[in-house]
Amino acid sequence: MNIVFPNRILPYLLLAPSILLVLIFFLYPAVQSVDLSLYLVNRVRDVKVYVGMENFQRLFESDAYLNSLQVTGLFTLTVVVSALVISLALAVGASQPIRGFGVYRTLLIWTYALSPAIAGVIWALLTDPAIGVLTEVLESFGIAFNWRRSNTDALLFVAMAATWKILGYDILFFLAGLKNIPRDVLEAAAIDGAGAWLRFRRMVLPLLRPTILFLVIMNTLYASFETFGLIDITTQGGPGRATDLLIYRLYLDGFRSSSRIGLASAQSIVLLLMVATLTIIQYRFISRRTFYQ
Amino acid sequence: MSKVVRRMLVTALLVVVALSLAAPSLSVTAQDEPVTINFWHAMSGSRGEVVQAQVDEFNAANPDINVVAEFSGSYAETLTKALAAYSAGEAPDIVQVYEVGTRTMLDSGAIVPVMEVSGGELDQSQFVRPILNYYAIDDELRCMPFNSSTAMLYYNKDLFEAAGLDPEQPPQTFSEVFEMGRQIVDSGAAPYAISFGWPAWILEQMFGMHDQLLADADGGRTGLASEIYFNSEFGVQVLTEWQRWADEGLLFYGGREYSANDPFIAGEFAMLAQSTSSLGGIENAVEFELGTAFLPALDGYERTGNNVVGGGCLWTMAGQTEEEYDAVWRFYQFLSQTDQSVFWHKETGYFPATNAAVDALEEEGWFDENPNFRTAFDQILAGNDTVASRGVLLGDFVIIRDIVGAAIEDAVVNGVDPQEALDAAVEESNQVLEDYAALAG
Amino acid sequence: MSAVTASTTTTRTGLREGELRHRLYPIVMHAIMLTAVLLVTFPLIYAIILSTQSGALGSLRPGPALLDNVQRAWDSAKMGLLMRNTLIVALAVAIGKIILSLLGAFALIYFRVRFGGLIMALVMLTHLLPLPVRIVPTYELLTEFGWVDTFWGLTIPFFASATGLLLFQQFFRTVPTDLADAARVDGAGPFRFLVSILIPVSRTNIGALFLIEFVYMWNQYLWPLLVANSDSTRQVQIGIKQLVASDAVIEWGVVMAGSMMVIIPPLVVLLTLQRSLMTGLTGATEDL
Repeated sequence: MNIVFPNRILPYLLLAPSILLVLIFFLYPAVQSVDLSLYLVNRVRDVKVYVGMENFQRLFESDAYLNSLQVTGLFTLTVVVSALVISLALAVGASQPIRGFGVYRTLLIWTYALSPAIAGVIWALLTDPAIGVLTEVLESFGIAFNWRRSNTDALLFVAMAATWKILGYDILFFLAGLKNIPRDVLEAAAIDGAGAWLRFRRMVLPLLRPTILFLVIMNTLYASFETFGLIDITTQGGPGRATDLLIYRLYLDGFRSSSRIGLASAQSIVLLLMVATLTIIQYRFISRRTFYQ
Repeated sequence: MSKVVRRMLVTALLVVVALSLAAPSLSVTAQDEPVTINFWHAMSGSRGEVVQAQVDEFNAANPDINVVAEFSGSYAETLTKALAAYSAGEAPDIVQVYEVGTRTMLDSGAIVPVMEVSGGELDQSQFVRPILNYYAIDDELRCMPFNSSTAMLYYNKDLFEAAGLDPEQPPQTFSEVFEMGRQIVDSGAAPYAISFGWPAWILEQMFGMHDQLLADADGGRTGLASEIYFNSEFGVQVLTEWQRWADEGLLFYGGREYSANDPFIAGEFAMLAQSTSSLGGIENAVEFELGTAFLPALDGYERTGNNVVGGGCLWTMAGQTEEEYDAVWRFYQFLSQTDQSVFWHKETGYFPATNAAVDALEEEGWFDENPNFRTAFDQILAGNDTVASRGVLLGDFVIIRDIVGAAIEDAVVNGVDPQEALDAAVEESNQVLEDYAALAG
Repeated sequence: MSAVTASTTTTRTGLREGELRHRLYPIVMHAIMLTAVLLVTFPLIYAIILSTQSGALGSLRPGPALLDNVQRAWDSAKMGLLMRNTLIVALAVAIGKIILSLLGAFALIYFRVRFGGLIMALVMLTHLLPLPVRIVPTYELLTEFGWVDTFWGLTIPFFASATGLLLFQQFFRTVPTDLADAARVDGAGPFRFLVSILIPVSRTNIGALFLIEFVYMWNQYLWPLLVANSDSTRQVQIGIKQLVASDAVIEWGVVMAGSMMVIIPPLVVLLTLQRSLMTGLTGATEDL
């Protein structure tokens, strides 16, 4: 170990701010969430009625909530799979040791700088039922696309916008991962036409496995939590409840109502269990990897 | 690289400093410490600018008062935030709340009724009747009427003509909407016939204008409502009609708020049921001849009620000093002055709240020159004042409207049976009402 | 496996297959990548075109209204003020997080800390508790502190960072021990060592963390939606929402102009620091 300085108290002082912040803004509210989930609460009038597990029971009997679970699952799966496949392909392409390819590496990562909300607005216009350019293109192929009128189209639309935004992030991490792979492996894999796929599978993919696992986790968290702005600024959960993600439901119940705070807290606990599962998986498979937001 | 980092940080900091200096200073050169009145509103964009203009004029005329108008987000966000701020002891003095939040505000214990603020000076009879009716509970106004609107039918006269219809004869009933809509689409005049803004609100309007009660306890006006009637025979019939329009390719579904306005302006469909407050914006934007009419009525039902008033009302938050209430009252008086009310109406399309302002507008010939502005007015005055058409008051209405909005979409977009969709929505909403009542103390 | 050392023992299996294929390969690849870049960038190009149009949109021809749109976004959503607010928040959180994690990692690696494992476990808990699982009580907490509608409320809850702590801890372990020993022999105190030796050698990691946190905070939506009530603290993403929800008629040209403005700062940070992030990441990958 690197231990060199003898000070006894100093290290605790250095760690104190971090510890305090974790206790105050993470641990305490998490415990509070558990507590609140057992009550009916009115925030304004400061009234609490103990209801035990009723909030949870109600949650899993509510069609709206079950729908949100399903929609979130479907949405997350679509985003994670398409984002990883597209970004891996693009990153491998951009990593080819060919002169001038450095510029692609820069041009492909810029969507990282976008927010989900802005990605949503841009795609809302691209696919606007009345004036969208993409809508027109699709129409010319005989495909009617209208995210205000079709559940499938709505989910597709938010998934496309969310995928597009995360491409930059994923490509960045794949590029970093590919840097560890010797040039000639990549080059040979690409040039050797017939054997390319086999080589890619045998030599490149195994080396990228940790990166892929890491990105699966990060993209799952992104798709389920960070896309709130995208939903809020475009579909607001509609049409019907086609894009009513768990995080959006939580916001509506927790902050738009005055009497559903207990129900919202119960939703928080369910989310906590999901995140816990993901985290355990992460530690199982990629022990010492850090999280990047 | 570290040089780059450092240079970047320095640049960033410089930008912060520069922007802070450039940003308009909010501090007022106060000599005798004016009373500060914080006013949170939900008017963004050009409407926000109109509010600001009124506030500036008031401040200039009243150097001892400084009203600080602050846009605090959408209606729903403003409501949540004002109540949270009240719990934290940091409430604004005045907050603009939409009709949906009325019950919540009343029960919050966080407000002072406007009559009390005025020290009994407020003359209720000055307000246009339907507006008074909505915001008065037990015949007493609880908040200061500010931006009221209702829904009406906008239509594109050019498209009517192109379809071979008489542009001066807009549809008056659902069946006429259907027939004319058919003709508009079949003739190729436009891809669709009709669309709505705020569909759940339009459904509420339907209940009001056909004198159909929406909830028990007289629509929540003589007590807490515990049951809503969206799934009544009437409600199901309305939604069934809408679903038919959608199935026949006549209805362009345009989202839950104002998203239908743009395609209407672009001529994507010929009719739009939308808030009267969009009139200014739509009139400025359209390149075709714009017509307006009453909302069409459902066949087989009499149009006996009024159109329900929507929009915002100014609530005074509790816990302020006497001096502040006094200043708030002076600000309210200023806003209801005839010239201010007239200015507000012309700039935004919201109703002028007082009878005097209506008379003034009439006198200067405003309504003759702008018949579209008259339509909304005639409409709210056309019906009878009934319990049902005063509008419903519900606890946690914000959530209920969302539930009903989703049910309408389920029927119109996803082909769910209207009875089924509304039954499910009512069941869910009644649960919300039950929770609300359980905590009403 | 080392990141930088490219293998020198190249086995050129590809060449034997055919000279032609080898010649054509870069050209074909360029064509493919160019198309890919165009596809990925098209939505942005479209957005930029729209930001120059006014009135009825939808065509692909740039209009003359760019400056007007920018001006109106600036005025009606107060974009200038909002950019300033967001810059304050993003810089405060990025820098605050870096400082706290540097100090924490420094303490854990260069001092004897009892319960170090426990402390680490505590900090790692933050991974389990992203904002959504504690959002209601955290907001209540802010209300109690009187931090609603303040920069405190927008920044402090984000300061704790397991990411940063782990990143620096990992990195410090790779810093040769004799550097620290030498510093101690020279009589340099811990802070001298931290500032004049440790921080400079950590610059790549600092750059990487700065980029990640800056972009993350700049793009925050849900928390600012709840916490900021007024123009004086409102964040840019909410400003965009305001432009979209604004008025009866949405001015898409103005919305797009506003959005393009908002993209610039994180884009500048990304382009400036992307190399740090790549190297930082490559370094981190070695531990996998």
